[in-house]
Amino acid sequence: MKRTTKIATVVAMTLPVALILSGCSGGDGGSGGGSGDDNTLTVWAWDPNFNIYAMQEAEKIYQQDHPDFTLDIVETPWDDLQTKLTTLAQSQEYGELPDIFLVQNNAFQKNVINYPDLFSEATDAADFSQFPQAVTDYSTVDAVNYGVPFDSGTAIGAYRTDVLAEAGYTVDDFTDITWSDFQTKAEDVLAKTGKPLLSGQAGSSDTIMMMLQSAGASLFDADGNPTISDNPALEKSIETYIDLVKSGVFTEVNSWDEYIGTFVNGAVAGTINGVWISGSLQTATDQSGEWAVTNLPKLDGVSGATNYSANGGSSWAISSNANVDLASDFLKSTFAGSTALYDTILPKAGAVANWIPAGDSDVYAQPVDFFGGQPIYADVVTFGASVPSNNTGVYYYEARDAVSAAITKIMGGADMASALDEAQSTVEFAMG
Amino acid sequence: MINKLRGVPAYLFLGIWTLFSLFPLYFMAVSATNTSQDVLASRLLPGGELFANIAKLLDAQNVGAAMTSSFLIAAGTTVLALIICSIAGYGFEVYHSKGKDVLMGVLLLAMMIPFAATMIPLFQVFAKLGLVNSLFAVIVPAISTPLLILLFRQSSRAFPTEILEAARVDGLSEFSIYARIYVPTMRATFAAAGVITFMTAWNNYLWPRVILIKNEVQTMPMLIVNLSAGYVTDYGVLMLAVLLASLPTVVVFLLLQRQFAEGITGAIK
Repeated sequence: MKRTTKIATVVAMTLPVALILSGCSGGDGGSGGGSGDDNTLTVWAWDPNFNIYAMQEAEKIYQQDHPDFTLDIVETPWDDLQTKLTTLAQSQEYGELPDIFLVQNNAFQKNVINYPDLFSEATDAADFSQFPQAVTDYSTVDAVNYGVPFDSGTAIGAYRTDVLAEAGYTVDDFTDITWSDFQTKAEDVLAKTGKPLLSGQAGSSDTIMMMLQSAGASLFDADGNPTISDNPALEKSIETYIDLVKSGVFTEVNSWDEYIGTFVNGAVAGTINGVWISGSLQTATDQSGEWAVTNLPKLDGVSGATNYSANGGSSWAISSNANVDLASDFLKSTFAGSTALYDTILPKAGAVANWIPAGDSDVYAQPVDFFGGQPIYADVVTFGASVPSNNTGVYYYEARDAVSAAITKIMGGADMASALDEAQSTVEFAMG
Repeated sequence: MINKLRGVPAYLFLGIWTLFSLFPLYFMAVSATNTSQDVLASRLLPGGELFANIAKLLDAQNVGAAMTSSFLIAAGTTVLALIICSIAGYGFEVYHSKGKDVLMGVLLLAMMIPFAATMIPLFQVFAKLGLVNSLFAVIVPAISTPLLILLFRQSSRAFPTEILEAARVDGLSEFSIYARIYVPTMRATFAAAGVITFMTAWNNYLWPRVILIKNEVQTMPMLIVNLSAGYVTDYGVLMLAVLLASLPTVVVFLLLQRQFAEGITGAIK
């Protein structure tokens, strides 16, 4: 009896402790259980209406010549995909990786540089000269291509033509202009119609990053050192942004959902973002025919300033666990080689190609009713060819966050130079 | 009469507070019946889009599979956690051993280790065991929590030692004392612990997302994030999924409401 009690005590007390601490045990790497036959590729991607839909259409196209081919697509939102990549890399369980996974362009270099063992070279997966340099740069490390560009993050300025007309403007008045022109005209629109032309999330640096990239500038130099201090393009971008907000032509909201709400509800008469925002614009079916798309205003007095930029976008990566030959051939025959694919996915998903030959297709020249019959996709492909490269590197997100924090301080009245110096040292600290 | 009047401000305050608490639930339910555009416009009246939203949700996501996975994980975790943690809490309180307070200290220290710190080794363990994509891999790390052990230990203080002595004199085995006397008297604590565990397991996100890779084994919280991860979010459909995902925890809570309150206050007492 006594012994049973003792055993029971020991078991009852140690079992839960062992279970709780079970996560603390270590171990070295090894292969996991991921497998596939010779004709199946596993893909991790997000957004069933966009990326996953495009992959499914690519599967159909590849099946025409390879009837036994199938894809196993696993829906994984980007943030979680990143968590999985980090977990697999740190635990060295590369066997659980899919063959192909989608990576946000801004995070591509960070992942290749930090976790090179996750990737296979994508050298044979495309003729990279058929993509704009600015786009392939995102997934190129040490002159090696690791990704096939897919989703174009080319930035557009989209405006409500009816609201502009009410103030006596057309979309042409907002084409090839500078930010100071924009400021004057937008203030006029605001005064006459009561509607701001832009909106965005407070504390987000999206708009400023687009301005910065439009001038070919970035938060890092070619060697990867942060250039947040004494960066005239960045200072001009921040000044421009603050002027927009203070004059009321740019409405700051608290969340992404509210941002979408501002134009869907018609409270704001335009937006500047990646072309993918057109999907959200078109949910406002009552505003059909009243939108038009043009390029961005450019920074005043900054050398290299253009009217073109990008925000977001993503590229397909081939994993180190992949059937590399099949994955390369599949990507080369579809996303880097099939006009038919882009012709299918463009009208249904609004997925604009980075692959230059696709832009010549008639489908791109089709008028889009929501945008008053404007062939916006052909225009966007033209914009895409003029977007300056963005130098992302390993610490891009850290630098963005530091700049966002600095902007909040500057908006609150802090001195710009010292706030940016502080952001610079935050990033330098993170880089160690 | 004066007494009755004295209660008015309190009721008024509590009433307003209740409205504040209920509003998000109301908005969630109403939004499930509206279009995405209506939700963005904060429409507060029920609309006629419920069936359209249901059709869209079923078309976009495998709701049945996600509900099943979530339910198996939550139910499995709850049952196992209650058994293990109640035995542990009971053991910690009823038996006497020199090392038990030290052990309890270790347990409480374990509460301070953030999950992110143990996630990678945990993943290695389950990957080596071939348990990636297995619901078992989600359940096992969650069946023993310091919080529940502490809850059971604290509640066990109220368990009269006289009963224990009497049962031993009558020849009842140690396990029978636990199973036949302790468990029935601690019903309220079990209910409270059950509700807490079920809700935590149901809402668990990070670990299932990492260890469950295939679409067929995704859980409801994963499904909801999928719905809002694209370029265009259908907020009506999203709210419907959120509503569906909250129903099971609401049902479990309502069923065990009274015991839950007793269990929690009992634990503090």
